[in-house]
Amino acid sequence: MKAIVLRILLQRPGLDRTAGLFRLRLRAGGSQIVLAAFVLVAILAPLISPQNPYDPLQVLGWDASSPPGTVGSGGYAYILGTDGLGRDILSTIFYGLRISLVVSIVSSLAAAMIGLAAGVTAAYFGRWIDAVIMRLVDLQLSLPTILVALIAIVTLGPGVDRIILALIIVQWAVYARMVRGVALSETRKSYMDAAQLLRMPTLRILLRHLLPNSIAPALTLLPIEIGHAIALEATLSFLGLGVPLDKPSLGSAVANGFQYLMTGQYWISLFPGLALLCLVASINFVGDDLRRRLDPRSAAR
Amino acid sequence: MKSLRALHVGLRLAATVLIGLLAMTASGVQAGDGLRIATAYKLMTLDPHYANLNENTSLLSQIYERLVFQDEELQLQPGLAVGWEAVSTTSWMFKLRADVRFHDGSPFTAEDVVYTVERIRDQLKSPSGGYRSYVSAIKSVSVVDPLAVVFKTDGSVPNLPLALSSVFIMKKPVQGFATTEALNGGMAPNGTGPYRFEGWASGEYLQLAANTDYWAGAPAWPDVTIRVIESPAARVAAITTGEVDVADALPARDVAALKKRGVKIASVGAARINFLQFEMESHTLPGVTDKAGAAIANPFRKLAVRQALALATDRGILVDKILAGYGTAAAQVFPNGLPGTSDKLLPIAPDVTTAKKLLAEAGYPDGFRVLLAGPAGRYPGDSESLQAITQNWARIGITVEPQAVPFSVFNTKRAAGEYGLWYGGASGEAVDIILDALLASPDKARGTGALNFGHYRNATFNAMLSKAESIEAGPVRDAALADATEFVMADLPIIPLYHFHHVTGYGPRIGAYLMHPRGWTTAMQAEPAQE
Amino acid sequence: MYWATIASGRLAQAALLLLAMSLIAFIGIHSIGNPVFNVVNIETATAEDIRQATTALGLDQPVWKQYFLFLSNIVRGEFGTSYIYHQPAVDLVLGKLPATLELAVFAMLVAAPVGVGLGLLAGRNEGSAFDRVVLRFCVLVASVPSFWLSMMLILGLAVLAGWLPSGGRGDSMLAFGQEWSVLTGDGLRHIILPALALALPNIALICRLARAGTIEVQGQEFTRFCRAKGLSARRILMRHTLPNISIPIVTIIALQFGGMLAFAVVVETIFAWPGVGKLLIDSIQLLDRPVVMATLTFVAVAFVTLNALVDLLYAILDPRVRLS
Repeated sequence: MKAIVLRILLQRPGLDRTAGLFRLRLRAGGSQIVLAAFVLVAILAPLISPQNPYDPLQVLGWDASSPPGTVGSGGYAYILGTDGLGRDILSTIFYGLRISLVVSIVSSLAAAMIGLAAGVTAAYFGRWIDAVIMRLVDLQLSLPTILVALIAIVTLGPGVDRIILALIIVQWAVYARMVRGVALSETRKSYMDAAQLLRMPTLRILLRHLLPNSIAPALTLLPIEIGHAIALEATLSFLGLGVPLDKPSLGSAVANGFQYLMTGQYWISLFPGLALLCLVASINFVGDDLRRRLDPRSAAR
Repeated sequence: MKSLRALHVGLRLAATVLIGLLAMTASGVQAGDGLRIATAYKLMTLDPHYANLNENTSLLSQIYERLVFQDEELQLQPGLAVGWEAVSTTSWMFKLRADVRFHDGSPFTAEDVVYTVERIRDQLKSPSGGYRSYVSAIKSVSVVDPLAVVFKTDGSVPNLPLALSSVFIMKKPVQGFATTEALNGGMAPNGTGPYRFEGWASGEYLQLAANTDYWAGAPAWPDVTIRVIESPAARVAAITTGEVDVADALPARDVAALKKRGVKIASVGAARINFLQFEMESHTLPGVTDKAGAAIANPFRKLAVRQALALATDRGILVDKILAGYGTAAAQVFPNGLPGTSDKLLPIAPDVTTAKKLLAEAGYPDGFRVLLAGPAGRYPGDSESLQAITQNWARIGITVEPQAVPFSVFNTKRAAGEYGLWYGGASGEAVDIILDALLASPDKARGTGALNFGHYRNATFNAMLSKAESIEAGPVRDAALADATEFVMADLPIIPLYHFHHVTGYGPRIGAYLMHPRGWTTAMQAEPAQE
Repeated sequence: MYWATIASGRLAQAALLLLAMSLIAFIGIHSIGNPVFNVVNIETATAEDIRQATTALGLDQPVWKQYFLFLSNIVRGEFGTSYIYHQPAVDLVLGKLPATLELAVFAMLVAAPVGVGLGLLAGRNEGSAFDRVVLRFCVLVASVPSFWLSMMLILGLAVLAGWLPSGGRGDSMLAFGQEWSVLTGDGLRHIILPALALALPNIALICRLARAGTIEVQGQEFTRFCRAKGLSARRILMRHTLPNISIPIVTIIALQFGGMLAFAVVVETIFAWPGVGKLLIDSIQLLDRPVVMATLTFVAVAFVTLNALVDLLYAILDPRVRLS
């Protein structure tokens, strides 16, 4: 399970050294177990769900809004009830987890990589390259997330891949700004001067020296941003700009349920909402833990 | 280090304020004598001729009045006109109500009617242009005497009184004409209606006071506060907590819980329709492929396919589950019973077996794939309907990809011909207006087919419709319209889905609330409870 | 001279930012859809109506022409007239400003002291039960999407308990030529829930920052020195720790405040709070380009101003920092 957690959080080439370091230190805490369970459920969703909520033939409209425990016309019980269209809530949570995790992890990783590259490049080359990249970052951060996402999704068209793209566009600047700050202080350290004096190729300096040494902030940001991405995707869904209608993610399942919040059909939003909360919270807890281990000061202590 | 002390003081201050605020929350909501309404209609302008949208007209009808108004049965009733008649095929005489005064005290006369028509037709350069269509057929308006006007029309216009039932009468200014800017900023709207304008903030609230000199007697409420609350959940919450006395456009799914909390509910089938429409002219369609994803010829040109789809659609789920019973399965453009509807047309009952057979006969035994587009959050049950239809049609082998997008995006793409199949909505003053827009062939000269984005063309139907429209208002015209509807619906150029219900909730201070099928919300509809 | 250089640099930066942003937003809105369909009643309008409306709004021109027209109007200080409301776009934005301003100020007045206080206490007692509870609370609150938090607040405090109004702005009072609702009791009751929904995530954010800073500072020499000198724990905390952690906190407060001003879209939508954020999302959905552009400009100006203020505060709080 630890391995799963790590693979998900640290899926990136060139990180094996760092990852190995953590693998030794990781101990199984409560949040790690919860997160691992979520990931496991997401992977096994088709095997353990009573219903495939994305298959219109398996979803029965006449069973819509059944309370938890109702036995539907399909012959199985809706343990957590059904939503307004007859989708089994439990199955929707299982399947929604997959989409939410894939969307958030893929977009955050991609954003982190782009941000890393941009930040290191800006810091190393300075001058106009730095100016251009950082103005772009400023621009990005001064535009409302929702506007960027809306424009991106509408121009690109709907679909899970487009949402990932939109989330990348929204997130990369945060990494870039953070990494640049760290990389900037690294470039002033003596080993960089030494590398330059030795006339090492620029690419080599960037990849072998500056990048590994600037990676820590991006890493600490990653779990937080994955959590953000899940919440952001949910918010986009809430505003009607999220994943496709018939393939709800965890976030859009919650958003769908909001219309029913005051109807007494609490289960539609409550259970996916709790699942969402636990997922993001466990990611954040695990992220905190990772960060504590990453921090050289606390490691020294 | 002064900032620190400030922070410290601030901390304590915030704590004190917070405690104070929480203590204040214990006091209940105080209610005056006035009526408080929460509405979904965002009032965008105070110019009654600026945009032909319910968003404006519903609320402005409390301040301004029309010559003629449509009652709850959609029948015309005398408003500022007491009577009207066609004096020839091209002219109408309207007798005006005597002793009517505008809110500024000036009398209502024939001059004001002339001014109103001219303002809309000649002077107002509103981008929406919506009202111009109501008066475009009027060649001239002339004053016969202070309480009578004659409208001369281009050709015969038998439904001129209906067209005028949308036109609010404004006071003729001493000189020039009132611009939209002047009306929106500062210049108080001056109407003849039961309530006087007190104040507003565009898209936020409208404050009214009783017009005690109203010609039909002083209205029931001394003052009215209308709050624009666009979020349905927020309207539900507002009526639940008793912050408002009336809340309109409530989601049907919330009705059961609202009733449990003591909120009373009024509802009426809307004079409008929601439907599925096909592109029927082009031979290839965007978003329609066979199961393998290869392009196919437009299947919707075949009647058997349209019949199969209509038979596969389970309106029961739409009406009972999605609209929670606050909807009527549709077979024609208005709910059965309203003028111009046919009592022979009944909703098609779902029949998967026959639908499958028809589909196979039409050459699609394995079905096909289709993108079904629709607006998100524009009509009650819109995006849910897309998904319910996805489930329905899966049972006859048709794979639907439902796609709900913001209304403006939907319209842009639909107008650009990017959809082959979509969910739409239509409304209007009368059956013939919807038939003209939705099913008559697009014709610029006649102004028909504005909503016929499917390019449906049926010459026989066009002829039947224009013949019916040349008949003067009454049972004969209605029967001819019903015939035309029966004829065209047999060809299924659209699949009628449902007429949703307008649902309004009201609190203990209201005795009764009279619903209108056009979906209006006004203080006049709320009758105070007897103490 | 020093200040003038900085100011002109800032201004040039801001102008560049505005230009780039306006171009992106302009083209973005253009690519989304045609606003004319929100101006006419699509269910009754004829093709002729639509054509006339398109001309009346100037939408029949090529995009680049529209953009240059927009720019030249900006130079003259005009943002144009709202397509939907037919009012000057700037008036609309300014009209919504008091509502947003008071909500953001109110929320920050709650969030900043509570967050800093919790963070200081938790950081000083690192590892204690209190610290763990605070930390868990922070992570949990930060994990909740704000729309869920808002709805839960409405459900709990407005619908189920019935203590507070569920939405809207309540009564307001005229002051400084604008309507302010914090000046009335009813207005205060209305502001509590949305302010709480805005404040909670910020409490978590500020608290974590303050906690981390406190822990760091307490590990440093001078704190140990202070302790050795026999200063009281309270005095160390308020006089020595707090100033040393104030830079990141001030930064985040300023940035989050800017965010609240503009991007409280979700909270303002759910609570029907008639502020700038709600105006922005409504205008985007209605494709009301003049209003979108005016709102975005306001946002950018607010951001640049706040950033400048943060730098200024830096200089005051940390004498080592020199502006450049």
